[in-house]
Amino acid sequence: MELDVSTRDDGIAVVVPRGRLNMVSARQLKETLSDLVAGGSARIVVDLGETTFLDSSGLGALIGGLKAARQAGGDLRVARPTPAVVSVFELTNLDRVLRARESVETAFDA
Amino acid sequence: MPEGAGGRGEEAGRPAVLDELAAAPHRLVLSAVADPEVMDLVHSMLEHLFTHNPQVSDPVRVKFEMSVIEILGNIVEHAYAHDSALPAVDPSEARRFEIQLLATDREVVATLSDNGMPVSLDLGDLSMPDELAESGRGLALAASALDTLWFERVEGRNHWCLACNLG
Repeated sequence: MELDVSTRDDGIAVVVPRGRLNMVSARQLKETLSDLVAGGSARIVVDLGETTFLDSSGLGALIGGLKAARQAGGDLRVARPTPAVVSVFELTNLDRVLRARESVETAFDA
Repeated sequence: MPEGAGGRGEEAGRPAVLDELAAAPHRLVLSAVADPEVMDLVHSMLEHLFTHNPQVSDPVRVKFEMSVIEILGNIVEHAYAHDSALPAVDPSEARRFEIQLLATDREVVATLSDNGMPVSLDLGDLSMPDELAESGRGLALAASALDTLWFERVEGRNHWCLACNLG
């Protein structure tokens, strides 16, 4: 998995995991999200449009990032999930906690 | 509710497909050290299986791949928990696992076995943890995605059988 991280002009951090988000790559995602929050970026969008696989480790990293962001007064939102990702959200009933947004640009609009 | 999840896994019936698997010429088999780096190799095996078995629909592929990787992740984690507790592990005694994959016209099947620690689990009681929990979903996730999830421990080895029905 490759992980792209950027920060927009409005201060929102955008994280793009490309490829498989499994036990190995979830650690990398968890650290990246934790570093962002520690560095003052508590509003984060995770763009899942290029995440081809997600398991419980990847979910754990997303939930960990969500909690850290909220504790710092921000939020973590997920956008553009692929069918593989949506399937796992639904099986775990986490589609309400990790409500999928249609686009990265508007993920923090509502 | 998957087969094998109705009671304790070791008391549930042995899936009949295991006999078919042993004799199937198109089954894929890998034996390797149970470390995290091997996960990508198993993803590639699944990709190969699906490429050659177009009868397996995309939704079934997603559920099956996720379940196989969850169980393999469980094996790797247990292997590491055991080996890291030892002062020095002889490479010849490293934890190994074997995986077999097969797709038929009726189902897609995986068996996994390993020489790891006894796994203590009750396949009849796999519930999702609190929604903000960061771990503990793996087996529950596999159980909800599969039609068959079966486990037994025989002669020091853990044996898993996973299957999704087609159609």
